[in-house]
Amino acid sequence: MTLWRLEWLRLVRTRRLLALLAVYAFFGLTGPLTARYIGEILRAAGTEGVRVEFPEPTPADGIAQFVGNASQIGLLVVVLVAASALAFDSRREMAVFLRTRVAGVRRIVFAAYGTTVAGAVAALLLGSACAWYETAVLLGSPPTGAMLVGTAYGAVFLAFAVALVALVAALVRGVPAAAGVTLVLLLFTGVLGSVARVDTWLPTGLLGALGDLTAGGSAGDYLPGLAVTLLLTVLALAAAVTLGDRREI
Amino acid sequence: MIAETSALVKRYGSHAALDGVDLRVPAGSIYGLVGPNGAGKTTLLGILCGLRRPSSGTVRLGAGPGRVATLPDTPQFDPWLTGREVMALAARLARPPSEATTRAARIESVLAETGLAEAADRRVGGYSRGMLQRLGLAATVVGEPELLLLDEPASALDPAGRREVLDLIARLRGRATVIFSSHILADVQEVCDRIGILRDGRLLFQGTLEELLVGRATPAYRVRLRSGAEPAATLLRRQQWVTSVRADDGGLLVGVRTLDEAQTHLAGVLAEAGAQVISLGPQEAQLEDVFLELTS
Repeated sequence: MTLWRLEWLRLVRTRRLLALLAVYAFFGLTGPLTARYIGEILRAAGTEGVRVEFPEPTPADGIAQFVGNASQIGLLVVVLVAASALAFDSRREMAVFLRTRVAGVRRIVFAAYGTTVAGAVAALLLGSACAWYETAVLLGSPPTGAMLVGTAYGAVFLAFAVALVALVAALVRGVPAAAGVTLVLLLFTGVLGSVARVDTWLPTGLLGALGDLTAGGSAGDYLPGLAVTLLLTVLALAAAVTLGDRREI
Repeated sequence: MIAETSALVKRYGSHAALDGVDLRVPAGSIYGLVGPNGAGKTTLLGILCGLRRPSSGTVRLGAGPGRVATLPDTPQFDPWLTGREVMALAARLARPPSEATTRAARIESVLAETGLAEAADRRVGGYSRGMLQRLGLAATVVGEPELLLLDEPASALDPAGRREVLDLIARLRGRATVIFSSHILADVQEVCDRIGILRDGRLLFQGTLEELLVGRATPAYRVRLRSGAEPAATLLRRQQWVTSVRADDGGLLVGVRTLDEAQTHLAGVLAEAGAQVISLGPQEAQLEDVFLELTS
């Protein structure tokens, strides 16, 4: 039994992996469906005598609907799952068991980080695959290159989000605090990107890349954001390990 | 010495949780760290195992890297792990992967020794308090550490659970050095061969139990009487060799200058007072008496 297997069992036995996969798959299947039928649903529910015209939905609309839902509820679930693994000091007795058996917290943090990122990326891949299939069936095939690159950008963002959880968990105690502070930081970054029009330079910009690329956006526009995100991910992990080693319990 | 501290100080703001502690723990001993709540026992163990940093002073451990194991007062594990998986994780973190065969045998042996073999494949979320304590101790010893730091390992258990844990600790004698904190003096007196008494972050005494007890507590005689306690007490208080007299559980506890004087004169004074004596004998100094004397 290694620390990596411990974290894998945490994901599987607590059904956190199932929750991740289910949430992304659900939005992957329902996003394109909503985009395809939203016009008809609203027309059916509309006031008599009022006719609402919607443009014909495109494949990009189907993917954008998936991205919109997954980037909120999906991200919330990823952050909660990550906090439950990375806030390992929240229960002192369990922290004593792990911390007194390894030299430094690096091994604990890396195992929890790596496993959580793997679970989150697997969920994103499943959700994207579902959205791709459903969109192709209902609205037409989205561009393959855009789907692959956009999903890769989304995976990098999730890796960053989990690293941010690791950093916050080294600063605050408890799973709710780690998840809450991380979500506030991500929300703040998203708002900052929109208001200051620097979205493509920030990690949160990568969240919407899949939707934008399938609508014809350029993958190159997200390269600055990709570089910043990778750099911040490494820095967050390094800081999480350094602060974790300095923490007294 | 396998564990040694010098002028160890730990401050939380202006409060000194440890104030100049010079701990000396010989290799192979079972060292009892006793003191009232808040004395600094957990802080001292936390520093020894590296979970806390001292404000000043030095710590020297004779055990090699990875050869120190710690057991918190109420061990907890992820409830979805089985007992065997907890042991496997503890053993894997303590021993290199090349020793897989030795490790598996060691896990089975320790599970059997701690009476957990039958429950080993059950998830620990369903374990009782005593089973968790035994599992914690098993996970602590499975890596065959040179130094074990046990924080109140039996304090929260029922008498049967306490007995099991104390027996397990006693069986570690000769196999490892154990530093064992407790505020249950009977446990310490039973299991430990060396004792350190902490109060308000200061180490008031450390040494063997004999060194602690000899010459510390005031010598006394316990006298059980069928009748005549009041005249006997009155007459005893007039004796120069008597330092105190107090009623005690149907008799008298007579404090004396020396046991020799009591042996010479006590029976005569009781006879003179007309007391009916059931029994009398020297009151041996108990750890509790000395502890109260030192910490009050």
